[in-house]
Amino acid sequence: MYRPVILWLLLCGSVAAHDMTPTYPEWKMSFIPSAKMTTMQVFNKRADVEWYQIGVFDKDFESIPFVTRYKILNVKYLSRVEFDVYISNENTNDAEYICSTSKLRSYDNFKPIVESRICSRFK
Amino acid sequence: MNKLITLFLIVGLTGCSLFSSKAQAGTNINGNVESRCTVNTDTAGYYGNPNAYTLTTLPADAGQVPLVRIDTSLANAYKAQISYPTSFSSSPSLGDTVVWTGAVAVDQTSSSDMSGYQAASTTADGGAMRIYPLSIAGATWFSVASVATYGGGQQKAFPGGSYTAVVVAECIAQ
Repeated sequence: MYRPVILWLLLCGSVAAHDMTPTYPEWKMSFIPSAKMTTMQVFNKRADVEWYQIGVFDKDFESIPFVTRYKILNVKYLSRVEFDVYISNENTNDAEYICSTSKLRSYDNFKPIVESRICSRFK
Repeated sequence: MNKLITLFLIVGLTGCSLFSSKAQAGTNINGNVESRCTVNTDTAGYYGNPNAYTLTTLPADAGQVPLVRIDTSLANAYKAQISYPTSFSSSPSLGDTVVWTGAVAVDQTSSSDMSGYQAASTTADGGAMRIYPLSIAGATWFSVASVATYGGGQQKAFPGGSYTAVVVAECIAQ
């Protein structure tokens, strides 16, 4: 009985969403011999957010040094941004998660209170 | 006769190549189906101020409980971690203690098979974070109630101003 309603909500009610792919990225060879790279995508369907912070973490969620063009990405509403992440070869085994976290603005009257964070995992 | 057959063959083959060229000129729309997790803020939520020393998201006190929906397209690929706030991200200067309480609960699911999510969840960060293994693909709605009381039990009035606290909704690949 409720399933069609829930499905309708699922299809039509997505007004503020954030996703990141792939779920299970892999490190690949890069043009720098001492570093590996991976490519990720962030999709922003949150009208209240347009900045996302990228982070690479170990299994205990301790930060791991990495390089990308911008660590805080500007992702316009309803747009998808692809970005490359580089990490030194010695850190590739420690890197467990790569996460994107919404950055909430505080400079105007409308202050969203839900911070979304999505983490993909290296296997 | 042979010339006539050859002519038909040439015309026929040319026609085929024209048709196939036409087919190749079509526009492709590419898409990928892959596992993903989407965090949706279905209801933003805000605090009501029923008395001088309390801020609460409870609707009975003029607040609104935020609703977060997490969609997964693959079973057992992600876990959801939802946390109610334990501090203000912006507020006037506060000289006294704020006591935080809250509750994270499954509000609705897209499948009745997910009915065990709340019972299977665990807590962390002193109970402020609740962790749900998303063992079934589909959508789950989480409600995040939050209450902040000022004065460390002394019921002191919050200083006037704007207060913001942040609910964190995380989707972590397993």
